[in-house]
Amino acid sequence: MLEDRLLIWKFKHGSEDALRCMYEKYKNDLLALAVSLSNDAILSEDAVHDVFVSVAKMGARLELRGSLKSYLLTCISNRIRSLKGTAKRRENEHEKADISRPDSRRPDELAMSVEELHRVGDALMQLPYEQREAVLLRLHGGLTFREIASMQDISTGAVQARYRYGLRKLRSILNSKVQE
Amino acid sequence: MKAEQEIERSVAKHCATQKSCTRASSEMDKRVLSDALRVYREAPKSEPSLAGTNLRRIIMKSPLTKLAAAAVLVVAVALSFHFFAASTTTAYAIEQTIQASHSVRYLHVKSFMASIPNEPIECWVEFDLSGQIKNMRIIKPAWMDPADGETVIVWKDGEMEFWIKKKNFLFIQEDQEIAAQVLGMMEMLDPKHAAANIQQAQEEGDTQVEIDEPKNKAEPITITVTYQAEDGTPAQRAILFVDRATKLLDSIEAYQLRGGKYIHFSTAEFYDYDKPIDPKMFTLDDVPSDAMRVDQIAQEIGLPQGDLTDNEIAVEVVRQFFEALIAQDYAEAGRLFGGVPAERMQKRYGHIRFVRIVSLGEPVLNPATAELKVPYVVEIEENGVITKWKTKYSYVPVRQVHGQAGRWATTGAPLGI
Repeated sequence: MLEDRLLIWKFKHGSEDALRCMYEKYKNDLLALAVSLSNDAILSEDAVHDVFVSVAKMGARLELRGSLKSYLLTCISNRIRSLKGTAKRRENEHEKADISRPDSRRPDELAMSVEELHRVGDALMQLPYEQREAVLLRLHGGLTFREIASMQDISTGAVQARYRYGLRKLRSILNSKVQE
Repeated sequence: MKAEQEIERSVAKHCATQKSCTRASSEMDKRVLSDALRVYREAPKSEPSLAGTNLRRIIMKSPLTKLAAAAVLVVAVALSFHFFAASTTTAYAIEQTIQASHSVRYLHVKSFMASIPNEPIECWVEFDLSGQIKNMRIIKPAWMDPADGETVIVWKDGEMEFWIKKKNFLFIQEDQEIAAQVLGMMEMLDPKHAAANIQQAQEEGDTQVEIDEPKNKAEPITITVTYQAEDGTPAQRAILFVDRATKLLDSIEAYQLRGGKYIHFSTAEFYDYDKPIDPKMFTLDDVPSDAMRVDQIAQEIGLPQGDLTDNEIAVEVVRQFFEALIAQDYAEAGRLFGGVPAERMQKRYGHIRFVRIVSLGEPVLNPATAELKVPYVVEIEENGVITKWKTKYSYVPVRQVHGQAGRWATTGAPLGI
């Protein structure tokens, strides 16, 4: 946290190094969230690109309500949401990439089996976007409900409801797959 | 049937796996950084960076509040030995001092003003493994602000809690600007960055460093740093006393040049190097349950600025503040007044029957505090008679809420709290 505050302060004072550090520090995390949200590698890279360009454009006007991390993660989810139309088009054109499917050559390094990973990933993609977003910002980004609500200008109750509905639906999807 | 917690665990594992597998390509890095840096060069910037300026300049020019300035001063002094020690090349074992001080995790500092030797500013600091401040407790003596009396400040990750015993008042806020300034100063003092800063200071020719290592081994090593006068501030001198055995700083004395003489104005003393500090020191557990608690982090304070100008939002805040008092909506009045609890507002203002706002004038900026002072005329009813409300202050100060970007609130009300 403290390091981020310094980064932001330096960024607002014109340090290009600070911008590079912000990118290096969070790029993979943001990209991973984008992939989880969209299941589309190209769109995810575009989202990370757009977020950093828009942050860079703000310069000294950058004002954060919460942490830098929660801000960037929320920006990513908002950007993915607005790029969803493009994603659909890409899907139809069979451009869907595969970085959401981890490299099967190194299963020993994974925290869960590739099969299980795909199953959860597929289930997540079946959730309405708002629910997927709430679940992933919470479980991927580690954001609190309050942080998500504050960043998205909605009530904490609404975020919690989306999260709960999302989990219920996931449970239903995953259980039905188990029964199959 | 999978329980909800099990689903949460599965998704969390999915996320962890996704994180461990996802890596930005070098092409992506190139594209993002190239585009981001291009637009960044055109973006607005804040005032010039602290990098390259010296410690004294920052302390003297910092727009911090008195309180924060005191905290910063203590921290800066506590850490300044990195800067000074690295700035010389004599027989004195500078590298030993740098190394010794670099690994310090705990520190207790007392900073005395020469004119008030019995009431120091006291500070306990815990650093993390990378040398960053992790936790800090500061006791601000009563002389710094007699109206408040002694204040205890606890700082964790930029979140600050102020306990004003005399007023039975606990105030919690997050001020990124102050946190960033402290951290900016720390960075400047960090050995990793010291060389560049020192080089610049030497090039500017405004710093002189002398080291004295007495033959008598019982005497401490002294480092004397002299800053030339600049921008209306007198020349200053700092004498650092270094422990022979540990190579750590014992104390720093600061002087200002007045009437041709260096006059002693403050001393910082360092104690308990690396003696672990009880974690309780970094919490305010002993605040009475009946204390007034204003938490500016847990609640949204004031009004969002939206498209209004600074003057317009200042007037709007004051208008809504008085309208809330007229409506006897003390919760709303408190929200506009920095988050003061409704009961407290009712206690202070409940006995007055506010009738109407007669006028709100053009705000006047107080450059020292960045507050906009909004003149007001309101009517109240007293014993069946409508009169203009007369108080000590003819204006209500309004400013941006610390840590809540784009929101404005009153920082004082005619009767205070």
